[in-house]
Amino acid sequence: MQDLTTGQSEKILDSLPCYVTLLDRHLEVLWTNDVSRHDFGDPSGKTCFELYRIRGGKCPECLVEKSFQDGRVHNKEMTLTTVEGTRIDVLVYSSPVRSAEGEIVSVVETAVNITSVKEIQKQLILLGQTVAGMAHSIKNIMMGLDGGIYVVKKGLEAKNQDEVREGWEMVLLNFDKISHIVKDILYCSKEREPDLQVIDPNTVAREVYDLFKDLAASYSIELKLELDPELESAVIDPSGLHSVLSNLVSNAMDACKLDMAKDEHLVEIRSKKGKDGGAIFEVADNGIGIDKNVKGHVFEDFFTSKGDKGTGLGLMVTQKILREHGGSITFRSRPGRGTTFVATFPKKDLPRTT
Amino acid sequence: MPKKILVVDDEPHVVKYLTTFFQDCGYETCSAGDGEEAMEVLRRENPDLVTLDLQMPNETGTRFYRNMTKDKHFKNIPVIVISGIPGRHLAVSKPLAVFEKPIDRDALLAVIKQAIGA
Repeated sequence: MQDLTTGQSEKILDSLPCYVTLLDRHLEVLWTNDVSRHDFGDPSGKTCFELYRIRGGKCPECLVEKSFQDGRVHNKEMTLTTVEGTRIDVLVYSSPVRSAEGEIVSVVETAVNITSVKEIQKQLILLGQTVAGMAHSIKNIMMGLDGGIYVVKKGLEAKNQDEVREGWEMVLLNFDKISHIVKDILYCSKEREPDLQVIDPNTVAREVYDLFKDLAASYSIELKLELDPELESAVIDPSGLHSVLSNLVSNAMDACKLDMAKDEHLVEIRSKKGKDGGAIFEVADNGIGIDKNVKGHVFEDFFTSKGDKGTGLGLMVTQKILREHGGSITFRSRPGRGTTFVATFPKKDLPRTT
Repeated sequence: MPKKILVVDDEPHVVKYLTTFFQDCGYETCSAGDGEEAMEVLRRENPDLVTLDLQMPNETGTRFYRNMTKDKHFKNIPVIVISGIPGRHLAVSKPLAVFEKPIDRDALLAVIKQAIGA
């Protein structure tokens, strides 16, 4: 084994894939490696918290000071900001550097970039929340099934046909809910290519209108259709568009049903030709509107403000379909006044078949 | 005279389930589909116990509970929280018991019997 020359040691330190910083007792930077200089610039005359742009100045529990004090290695997770303004999550180790006499003369800090690990951690937390949300939805359905089975049993015992029928309906409805939720979950979890076709988007909008017209009338909600005749064709997955509009109309009707303040309720499906040639759909209602503290959550999975009635997946599915098309969905809402969802499908060419 | 239970839940099927069950156990029942209606039924029917779903739209369940416990006529009526979301009962300060959906019928009945008798 060969001994390293000073030049070689420095080269090795420079190319280590982490930020290496040598610090004195006053937290002034004595030296940094190339990787650090590349992301954080020239360290001359700076303290470590200045160089790494730690928010709020010196860290509350300074690792370097600790290492100077007890001569041990310490570590913690921190967030640094590069010269370009990118925030980087790092795991920092501080370790004392001793002179030949054994006195601690400086402390070397090595910071390993763990941003991607943090990202995975976030996704895992999200996944956990999704599973928990799913469990709650299913528990509610179980309650419904439980109830249905109980009412059927009591009806049979009492030979009461009406009771049996009522219980059976409860069973069927909840069975239906399970089918829906499973379908939605599968849709959300699968990466799929939309089945792009040249379609007349107004035809799909009309289909959805026909599908909901009678149901809306039964809740005395007026369903209106306002189609832009200039929107003649678009490249969209027709079943995806159908799901998007059905979800939005169904939500809009729920918003009207929950609103006790107004006598007349209206849900309007509108289509428009976008400036860039894309297709824009709006579903507007004059229902209860979306509360400020709910606004940030509406696209989250299993988020529902409808108690037992929603699966909490409708808008998530809607958003996923739009994303698959390279489009977007936004909304504006005023509590007590109503909500308008806007789904934008960009202009697209049919993918070339090979 | 049989004791009376008020069932508050926005899901008609849950109402049907619980009222059927309570009637089988010898109780009288009344019900409400949201917090506002629950307040009316409470005044009209004067129940001995309330089961309350807190997972209702517009948080009317929580508001109902608050209004109910502020009223000196009703504040001592025992409340059993029935919810699909654990931890949600924290919105209610002193529930008699908390049941998660799907409920354990026998355990629920035991709590009710202890509170208001058979």
